[in-house]
Amino acid sequence: MKNYKIYITAFIIAMVTLTACSDDFIDVPSRNPNSDDFFKTEQDYQDVLIGVYDLLQASFWNVMVGEIASDNTLAGGDPDNIDGPAMQDIDNMVHNDVNEQLRDIWRWMYAGLNRANYMLEFRDNIDFDTKNDMIGQALFLRAYFTFELAKWFGPLPLLVENGRIKNKRMQFGEQFTISRTATIADTYTLIEADLIEAIGLLNTTQDLEYKVTKGAAQSLLGKVYLYHATFDAAKYTDAATVLDQVISDGNYTLASNFGDIFEHPGENAAGSIFEVQYTDVEGAGFDCLQCSEGNVAVGFSGVREYVGPTFDSGYGFNTPTAEAASIFTTGDLRKDATIFDAEAIATSYQPSRGETKLYNRKYLPRKGDLGLGDNNLTNPNNYRAIRYADVLLMAAEANVQKSAPDVTKAKGYLDLVRDRAFGNTTNRIDATLENILQERRLELMGEGHRFFDLVRTGNADGTIDGFTPNKNELFPIPLIELELAGAVERWGQNPGY
Amino acid sequence: MKIKLLYFLFFCAAATVTAQQIQISGTVISSEDDFPIAGANILVQGKNAGTTTDFDGNYQLTVEKGDSLIFSYIGFASSTILVESQTTINVTLSPDNQLLDEIVVIGYGSQKKKEITGAVSVIDSKAIEKLNPVRVEQALQGQVSGVNVTTSSGSPGAASNIRIRGVSTNGDNNPLILVDGNRITDLSVINPNDIASVNVLKDATAGIYGVQAANGVILITTKSGRKNTELKFNIDSYIGFQEASNAIDVLKPRDYAILVNEMSINGGGDPKYIVYPEDGTDWQEQVFTNAPIANVNFDASGGTEKAAYSFGASYLDQDGIVGGDKSNYNRATARLNFQYDILKNLKLSTTAIYTHSNKNNLSEGAAGSVLFNAINMNPVMPVYDANEDDGFQKAYNLGGEIINPVAQLANTYDTAQVNKISATLGIDYSFLNDKFKLSSKFQMNHSVVDSHVFKPEVYYGPSKSFNITTNEVYENKDYYDDYTWDNFITYSNTFNNDHSLTVLLGMSAFKTYGTFTGMSGTNLLIDGQQVNTIEYASVANAETQINRFTDEQLARGSNTFDTRLLSYFTRIQYNYKGKYLLSGVLRRDGSTRFGPENRFGYFPSGSLGWNISEEDFLVDNSFVNLLKLRVSYGIIGSDKIGDYRYLSTLSGEATYVRNDETDASELLQGLAEGALSNPEIQWEKQKTFNIGVDTRLFGDRISMTIDAFDKRTEDLLITSQVSGILGSSAPGSAPPTINAGTVQNRGFEFQIAYNSKFSEDFRINASYNFTTLHNEVLFVSGENGFEAGGGFGVGIGVSDAARMEAGYPIGYFYGYKTDGVFTSQEEIDKSPISSTDTAPGDLKLVDTNGDKKITADDRTYIGDPIADVTMGFNLGFNYKNIDFSASAFASLGAEMVRDYERQILEANKGTYNLDRWTPTKTNSSVPRLSTGGTPQSSYFSDLYVEDASFLRIQNVQAGYTFQENLVSKIGLDRLRLYVSVNNLYTFTNYQGYDAGASSGAPIGAGIDKGFYPVARTYMLGLNLKF
Repeated sequence: MKNYKIYITAFIIAMVTLTACSDDFIDVPSRNPNSDDFFKTEQDYQDVLIGVYDLLQASFWNVMVGEIASDNTLAGGDPDNIDGPAMQDIDNMVHNDVNEQLRDIWRWMYAGLNRANYMLEFRDNIDFDTKNDMIGQALFLRAYFTFELAKWFGPLPLLVENGRIKNKRMQFGEQFTISRTATIADTYTLIEADLIEAIGLLNTTQDLEYKVTKGAAQSLLGKVYLYHATFDAAKYTDAATVLDQVISDGNYTLASNFGDIFEHPGENAAGSIFEVQYTDVEGAGFDCLQCSEGNVAVGFSGVREYVGPTFDSGYGFNTPTAEAASIFTTGDLRKDATIFDAEAIATSYQPSRGETKLYNRKYLPRKGDLGLGDNNLTNPNNYRAIRYADVLLMAAEANVQKSAPDVTKAKGYLDLVRDRAFGNTTNRIDATLENILQERRLELMGEGHRFFDLVRTGNADGTIDGFTPNKNELFPIPLIELELAGAVERWGQNPGY
Repeated sequence: MKIKLLYFLFFCAAATVTAQQIQISGTVISSEDDFPIAGANILVQGKNAGTTTDFDGNYQLTVEKGDSLIFSYIGFASSTILVESQTTINVTLSPDNQLLDEIVVIGYGSQKKKEITGAVSVIDSKAIEKLNPVRVEQALQGQVSGVNVTTSSGSPGAASNIRIRGVSTNGDNNPLILVDGNRITDLSVINPNDIASVNVLKDATAGIYGVQAANGVILITTKSGRKNTELKFNIDSYIGFQEASNAIDVLKPRDYAILVNEMSINGGGDPKYIVYPEDGTDWQEQVFTNAPIANVNFDASGGTEKAAYSFGASYLDQDGIVGGDKSNYNRATARLNFQYDILKNLKLSTTAIYTHSNKNNLSEGAAGSVLFNAINMNPVMPVYDANEDDGFQKAYNLGGEIINPVAQLANTYDTAQVNKISATLGIDYSFLNDKFKLSSKFQMNHSVVDSHVFKPEVYYGPSKSFNITTNEVYENKDYYDDYTWDNFITYSNTFNNDHSLTVLLGMSAFKTYGTFTGMSGTNLLIDGQQVNTIEYASVANAETQINRFTDEQLARGSNTFDTRLLSYFTRIQYNYKGKYLLSGVLRRDGSTRFGPENRFGYFPSGSLGWNISEEDFLVDNSFVNLLKLRVSYGIIGSDKIGDYRYLSTLSGEATYVRNDETDASELLQGLAEGALSNPEIQWEKQKTFNIGVDTRLFGDRISMTIDAFDKRTEDLLITSQVSGILGSSAPGSAPPTINAGTVQNRGFEFQIAYNSKFSEDFRINASYNFTTLHNEVLFVSGENGFEAGGGFGVGIGVSDAARMEAGYPIGYFYGYKTDGVFTSQEEIDKSPISSTDTAPGDLKLVDTNGDKKITADDRTYIGDPIADVTMGFNLGFNYKNIDFSASAFASLGAEMVRDYERQILEANKGTYNLDRWTPTKTNSSVPRLSTGGTPQSSYFSDLYVEDASFLRIQNVQAGYTFQENLVSKIGLDRLRLYVSVNNLYTFTNYQGYDAGASSGAPIGAGIDKGFYPVARTYMLGLNLKF
């Protein structure tokens, strides 16, 4: 009898357990929000926007490798070895389609582009007061990433809809069907459309320093027009118009002392229009350079094995040539803020490959930062992406180049830059195109613009050692990226590679 | 009840005693542990007479001369002895698992080995004892065919990779490991002494375990007590020391200086050494040390009429051969195993294992790790420099990664503590004449991992990546939980004595969940003063304290996980007269890892067996004791991917800077997409065909198993590189997981064992097994036609050194073929070259596509990390009181990539460079040294790929067991002393530390960045029973 009861009880328990676990046992919702069903509050947009900004920090190679590609600096690095072979190749203009840095630039800028597209994909979900400004920021950032890609790789694989970059993330599978824009000019047109819309949406001033302003969008638009003008001279007029507007709005002034700009107090200060923000409060590692909150290029540019005052050591890349140092005329205050001669103050150091013994002072590791592990990857130096002096010189160039040139206006802009550079008004020069471009080199040396300026003005051939015309204007799309997209034929490689 | 009946029979028999009767007595003991067997039955054949042994295994019985006595006990083979004139008959019974009636655990049940239709290998506690492993996995290597164990680190307590029949998936290739039915992912928590047997299920019959069984199943049964046995104790202990079994041959100071000068001059630089130094530092000697190891294990077991119990406890303390206590591992375990018959037909069994371990971690297997530094550090430099604040020599002119490894060890403080409890509770209820059995089993694991890392302020020299200017402390506490609840009902019956049928119907629910927490701190302060020593290293003392997760992440639960499986299954087993065997399984598995449309999968498998030796023409054959043919085929599903890969979640990193932060908690935190999603992903399907023959010959002296298998993995689940335009390289993002392609593993397994007892004093056993493996990717579905992975070379920086591509083994090495070195400028002038700087003595890259240029398109297959053949040898003999055993393992045909050399001028170099090409030694195949961009320094080529075939003597052990009558005087049943050497010697041509090491990654395995080598261990041990 006792057995019988247990039998019944056990049988019931078994039946209950066999059936109680219905299939919803395995319906476990994700703790993290589903990205397809997200944007419901203003804060949601703000959170996603931070993620777009995040990828700006991954643009450090663009700046450093861009500079190495130019006639301003050598690759440098370990004097006894081929250090950073991909950068050495670019320095010597013998780079091919297997190149670590180029692949990073390709992948990271596309990552930023996709994050911007994620926000824009859901731009119409809800409305709130600050939405226009936020959408403006996202459009600017999309333009920024796309412009970086266009500068390096030319026509780009992009999803395009109604003459605009499509407001949609690229999904897995689309890489096998997407095609490249027909021309570089087409790409610039798409970027311009984003910036024009952004200008209409953005605030003129922002509550926090990191945020994009209307002035930043206008300045970048002016820059894109200048690049576009290489293919369509009418764009010089557009460039002049929008850059003149930035200047006449009067929201920016030049920092009085050039030397202050690249020190910590100079960050987001006078003369700064747009900066990529970096900090030293978080550690980073080589396994995810793009994750660093610090400026990786700064540690790479530091003096190798440096022991001495003011600066911390680094890997010794991106070393200015003697020729670059020699172009500063006597009295040009920019020279000492641009070129660091290690020989002068180092207790000890190891000269880099090429032994210029000169370093890019604007972006050297400064003493006094926190130095969380890996110290070389977490330098806090902001990248001064768009400076007012750059805008003045671009405006001068555009005014000289436009169909109805205004040399007087151009000269006025150039004078502002020259006066600050020398601390007096006695070193003014004529606003010829040649002078303006040379002034760009002097003012912006070490900031990653030179190579692209030479290319867009047609001056790279003969200026950069090893530069092959009709080839080196663009960099090759990394072979692995062509292969992974099944696009060796569909996109094709850039000419000459 | 049975016992009472037997007593009754005994008395009946005693009452009819006749004149020829003789009184005999003796002891019945178990061959397994030399313990007496209580309750063993002794029957007089053909008569209603008999007895049972008492608690000490003793018996007395009155028999007639010429009677045959049958000694038997459940779980042991019976033994028949003819009574002649002896008055003492001592009998040793061997457990059944020596024989055909062995019961093998097969998943939700057990089966007679004879009736098994799957490919199953068994390792018993004896074999484990002989191998004396510190970890369970070490006992698998070479013992059974089809199983290959590699280590990614020889560091104490580090995990091993177990591969059953090759690499079949791109993701997780680890088999399912069940300890008493309980899922265990980290075998380090199991004390090998606690194990009674290990069964390895290799073919589709593992499918009863469904999900996660696709890579095979390892069933571990822990020791349990026996009913009706006296409480007995076992103590096993050893002490020993470990040493490095080999060092990498690097240059001595003088040779080093000569070669550095030559390399510099060849590259257009200046000589670095004016005087060639004779003295310097052997950096490997500095970091390697003789490390002690000690283990003590205690267990007790016994049983009453209704209960059986076993209790074990152990403690292991092991220093590492690199850094000594800086890689120390210690582990304490306690185990309880208890079975109780509540009623005759209601049985309860429960087990509990508690583990507490501490592991100190070193930087391993990467650029900048301790061994990497020891290999590459300038041999001319001394270890110490009294002028430095911390007294250590700084590693000047050696790039950012190479630092003084002795200073590195001194500044390493990285400890992980694990507290884990694993428990099972099972109830079996039999009813309707035991034809039905209802079982409910609950298994759970709970573990807490506390890790503590202190990074002191340290300066290794200018420009070093590892310099820390503000000290940091990390304190993390992670909780891992899981449970499995299995409920099943079994029906077994035999019809007409010939037709046996067993039907199983059941369900299983599995849930694994956990929580991660932690804090980090920077800048340790005591009373406002900066401190930099381990004693103060706690987050509480840090000036800045940062939570590992933001408040928003904690609120969402982003620091938790919850993954579940739900399965229903049925199995039908039928056999006719034990001759014709048939088994079929159908399983429906559901996993949280797939989207709603693909969540459930149905997976069938079936097997057939034919016991040929039961047929009339063989049944009386004295040579062939067993001959069985087995065939199986089945499909097993696998869900071994990350969680929520079908869904695009906001789990990426979105961090930006306001530019006024004083610590990381003030950074702007947003949300971004994590890994790219693929809503289409579905079950990976493993389709395995197996055909095998088991045979035992010559009175069971020889046993042989042969299997051939063909395992195809379809819809392979892959997460590998995708086109960068999808944005998968964003911080915190990752490529999507996709179903891409088919991989085939084909092979042949052969196992032969010889067991013979020449006399009471001399027994011998030997076994040999081998496995061939042919791995081939049949198809890759991505339009690009390959998957890439595997990083090579700090200097060269190749991120896709290995590939998965149709027609090649998975993870084959992808690079340039070479054809010796250029011997003259003339030869260079007429050859395609990679760079115009090429000079005589440089490596000649092969233009494989014949386009007269050396481009990336010339890269091709240059080797693969999968062994073609692995084999194991085991030998043992006993002569009187002496026992000896030895085992060896060989792996042939795998390649490894030498990637532990930093390609810079002043780094030390392998001695093979002494044979380099020079203008006066032009017949060398070792390329010249230069700092320029030579083919050897700029390209990943077969120059770096080496044959990693090896033969390793894994274990040699010799023991002496004292005479029983001697030890019994001091109250012992058994006393054995032994000496043992693990990893005695490895025969190989591979230049790295360990030809048997592997990272275990499907794409990128076999790239050697300086694996922490397995130690050679000398041990002195004792086994005590009382």
